[in-house]
Amino acid sequence: MKEKSLAIIIGIIVLAAFIIPFTLLKDVEKWYGSFLFWLILTLIVIACNTILTKDWGNEE
Amino acid sequence: MNVSLIWWGLGIYIAVSVFIAFLSRTGKQTNMGAYFLGDRKMGGFVSALSYSATTYSAFMLVGLAGLTYRGGIGALGFELIYLMGVSLISFFGPRFWIVGKKYGYITPSEMIGDRYQSKAVAIAIAISNCLFLIPYSAVQLAGVGYLLQGVSNQQISFSSGVIIAVILAIIFAYIAGMRSVAWTDSLQSLFMIIGSTLVVLFLIHELGGFAGFFQQLETNHPEMLTVPGNGYFSFLTFIGLTIPWFFFSISNPQVSQRLFMPASLKSMRHMLLGFMIFGLIYTFVSIFWGYSAFLLEPGLDNPDLATPVVLSSSAIPPVLAVIVMVGIIAAAVSTIDSILLTLSSMFAKDVYGNIRKDTTDRVQLKIGKFIIPVIALLAYLFAELQLDLIAVLSVASSAGLIVVVPAIIGAFFWKRGTAAAVLASTIIPGTLVLILELLQAKPFGLASGLWGLILSTLLFIFVSLFTNAPTQKANEFIDYIKENLQNKK
Repeated sequence: MKEKSLAIIIGIIVLAAFIIPFTLLKDVEKWYGSFLFWLILTLIVIACNTILTKDWGNEE
Repeated sequence: MNVSLIWWGLGIYIAVSVFIAFLSRTGKQTNMGAYFLGDRKMGGFVSALSYSATTYSAFMLVGLAGLTYRGGIGALGFELIYLMGVSLISFFGPRFWIVGKKYGYITPSEMIGDRYQSKAVAIAIAISNCLFLIPYSAVQLAGVGYLLQGVSNQQISFSSGVIIAVILAIIFAYIAGMRSVAWTDSLQSLFMIIGSTLVVLFLIHELGGFAGFFQQLETNHPEMLTVPGNGYFSFLTFIGLTIPWFFFSISNPQVSQRLFMPASLKSMRHMLLGFMIFGLIYTFVSIFWGYSAFLLEPGLDNPDLATPVVLSSSAIPPVLAVIVMVGIIAAAVSTIDSILLTLSSMFAKDVYGNIRKDTTDRVQLKIGKFIIPVIALLAYLFAELQLDLIAVLSVASSAGLIVVVPAIIGAFFWKRGTAAAVLASTIIPGTLVLILELLQAKPFGLASGLWGLILSTLLFIFVSLFTNAPTQKANEFIDYIKENLQNKK
């Protein structure tokens, strides 16, 4: 089911957004460290929402 | 900053937005749905801008910029995780919308009360929302007061700023209800984002372009690019701040009520995606604003002053500073007017409508309209008092509202949830959050919102298991959604 699998993907991304900057990226003192990482994750989440809502119809 | 320039900026902003508010007055709003929900006919574009303006308050360019100034990149992570949390709309949005149409719900608390078949639930949630959101509005009003006082070098008094903001919020909310709020919000969101984006681009250019900007940070302040960085954003602080905000889109009634309003699910899609793009840009603008303040005026004791200090410094041409100032005031006012409208509808529908028997929609609308200036007056008085308690309640608002989250999730996904569990899981943890905030206590290093969420989840589940669920309503409600989710897509 599309809704469930995208919920899991978004859940994993959010977990990564909490964990990775505090572990793997904690010494990367560059713009391509946490700054870029969080930006990319957010873009992926926006893409997931685009997919999730793709079939939302015009019916009132 | 030159005072006459400030008045000119304010004058233009007020004239244009009041004009738009009057323009929005078409048709007659003679019932609750028309006045408080824009007749459930909101288009996607206006909904997206209005949702953005309501969500983003003066907090962004003052508080979030201040957090960046104080702790560095963790502020970006905090705000972007909030934005990721708005994905909850992809799951809850259509569900709110479908039952909103079927049962004619006006407020989220009315929906929860009906779903759990309990008037007490609707009343309790409505009152607790008022308890946290009126002080939150008061702090926004006070923010406008301090901002004008600061940038004018004390020449415009604190009270003048507060009075201007409260009168504007009443006008925008009163003239045509949700229609005038949505239209003026849309205009104000453009003030917020266009002005501040231009000014931040200007600042970055002055600081040597993006390359030079990052180079200064990487060379001189590398700790500002990592978490925990300078230590401010410890992991526990970070999750304590972030988790309550993650659920903002379903826990805060002034935004969750918006899920009843779009004309179609397609409009809701435009609202959601439009908001996410707006939010992404505005977040980066606020973070860059905070970093610029840090590079231009380092060493301030109170990071909340970073914005006023940079605005009145020589780094920014006065005209640009006035544009940002107007953007911040617009952000505050556009949040307060929506809160005014939401709380008034809750008072009329959930408190008055449930306590007085046999009230009609017409009477509730009258009460709702009457209560708008009353709530505004309360927020105004709180702002003028400048009590510490108000600040505490305001900070506690995201933590205090989060306790409703288990009940909301349960409403849509767990037929076993009960009214007694909703009452226990909102009142007890809500009180706990207040006590922890008043005492400034963080047991085991966890912030109040986390304790609130953990306790309310446990209470909701356990009390539900030992009390009777409204089985018939639960089945009808959840099955109706299931059938219609397929059809509407």
